[in-house]
Amino acid sequence: MTYALVLGRRALREGIRTPEVIVPALFIPLFFLVVNVGQAARIFPGSTTAFLHGQGYGAFQLPSSMLLAASFGSAALFLVEEIEGGYFDKLRATPVSRAAIVLGRLLAEGVKSLLIASVIVLLGLAFGITIASGVLGFFLLILLTAGWAIVYSGFMQIVALKTRSAAATNSAGLVFFPLLFLTPNFVPRNLLTRPMEIAATINPVTYVMEGMRSLVLERFHWETIGLGFLVVAVAGVIMLALSVRVINSYD
Amino acid sequence: MDQVSGPAVEAAGLVKTYRSGKSTVEAVRGVDLRVDAGEVFGFLGPNGAGKSTTVRMLTTLLSITAGSVRVAGIDVAAHPDAVRRRIGVALQEAGLDNRQTGRELLVLQGRLFDLSAGEAGERAQELLELVELTEAADRSIKGYSGGMKRRLDLASALVHRPEVLFLDEPTTGLDPASRLTVWDEVRRINESGTTVFLTTQYLEEADQLCDRLAIIDAGLIVREGTPSDLKAELSDRLELDREATLDDVFLDATGRSRERVAGEVKEVSA
Repeated sequence: MTYALVLGRRALREGIRTPEVIVPALFIPLFFLVVNVGQAARIFPGSTTAFLHGQGYGAFQLPSSMLLAASFGSAALFLVEEIEGGYFDKLRATPVSRAAIVLGRLLAEGVKSLLIASVIVLLGLAFGITIASGVLGFFLLILLTAGWAIVYSGFMQIVALKTRSAAATNSAGLVFFPLLFLTPNFVPRNLLTRPMEIAATINPVTYVMEGMRSLVLERFHWETIGLGFLVVAVAGVIMLALSVRVINSYD
Repeated sequence: MDQVSGPAVEAAGLVKTYRSGKSTVEAVRGVDLRVDAGEVFGFLGPNGAGKSTTVRMLTTLLSITAGSVRVAGIDVAAHPDAVRRRIGVALQEAGLDNRQTGRELLVLQGRLFDLSAGEAGERAQELLELVELTEAADRSIKGYSGGMKRRLDLASALVHRPEVLFLDEPTTGLDPASRLTVWDEVRRINESGTTVFLTTQYLEEADQLCDRLAIIDAGLIVREGTPSDLKAELSDRLELDREATLDDVFLDATGRSRERVAGEVKEVSA
């Protein structure tokens, strides 16, 4: 774990020194939040829409934007750069466990996501969104977002290690968009058409989104929140195991 | 530094094959090598001969298809981490993290070899002085020249005081002055007791630095010996009326003419 922390600190330094990578991760999700709210807020007024629990439509959309931000991880692209530049081999030539090499970047990605998610929520608060579950809910919300960031970065790292190509890794990042839209993104699951409801039900991102949304709109609905964390935990373990497997067989 | 007892590198029947579609490519076809502790050993060969593939197998970076390798007395395939603790590696392209400073890179390397934060800092300072990079130590590596990057790469390979140092074409792309600086460093490192395994395309470099050398061609070792023995053997065998050069030995060993290797083997005067 010490090695992972040492490597994680390095990856964080790298993030701080490349703000041009962090800015889009903040700006684009906020842009989608504003656009989506602008388009649908009048259809779903807070005063008469039951699923908004008395809040505006922005509160319903906030988790989607946070998940989008969490899927902007740059870890995999930095990894491809390192592979191409030879530094990755330098790391592989150290006696550090292969898992630590993978985990270091994921930890940094988690920390970056905590910060970005916090900024998005604080901006939301400034525009009248409230977190119904309070301070604890706020922390759980950003923790769940960071967990998803780690899962998604893990997936991207696997692609980077397998393909060693920036173009392929970038393309893999686009996988998130169908996953994000096959969710109860604009309305709750029970209001979706039947095919969309089936797609959303089998899409694990749905449960993360519903967990986050529950924290924003309701008090603690532990079953929904727990399911969100469970999905992140299971996906995280799978991604880490696959990443370690890929790096162990890396030639 | 603990001295290696017995050979520093010992490879027997080393083979590496790659699958490419339905066909199999044999990059290394049964290499036997022995490098004694304290030597500077040169590993030469034309492009695509299997030099880098061999070095990557010796340094645990590439899986071994067949054969056995012991480095610093340890089986590479069975105990890769133990081997990694005893070797330093500077590969063909200076593998550095351009977003860090020189000092940060060396401290990180020290931490990955189990030095405490304080020890890693002290070791980094020692090495920065050794490779004359103290003034640039806290600048981003991105702004370093090619020669500075090579020296930093060399320093990072020495952080944990390795018994065996692998240098894969350490002077490729450097100007003559930087090349001479790297040669001086290699000599100094070797004088301190480190075995050096050096691959190079520069024949003069091998002649200047190496106690013994091997030439690999098409995945097989085709010559091995001291530079002077190899040159003398060729002069005798071909009954030359002049002393053979290492270029002659190389061309004879690889069955190439000067015309054919133009663009493959670079001869330099530094």
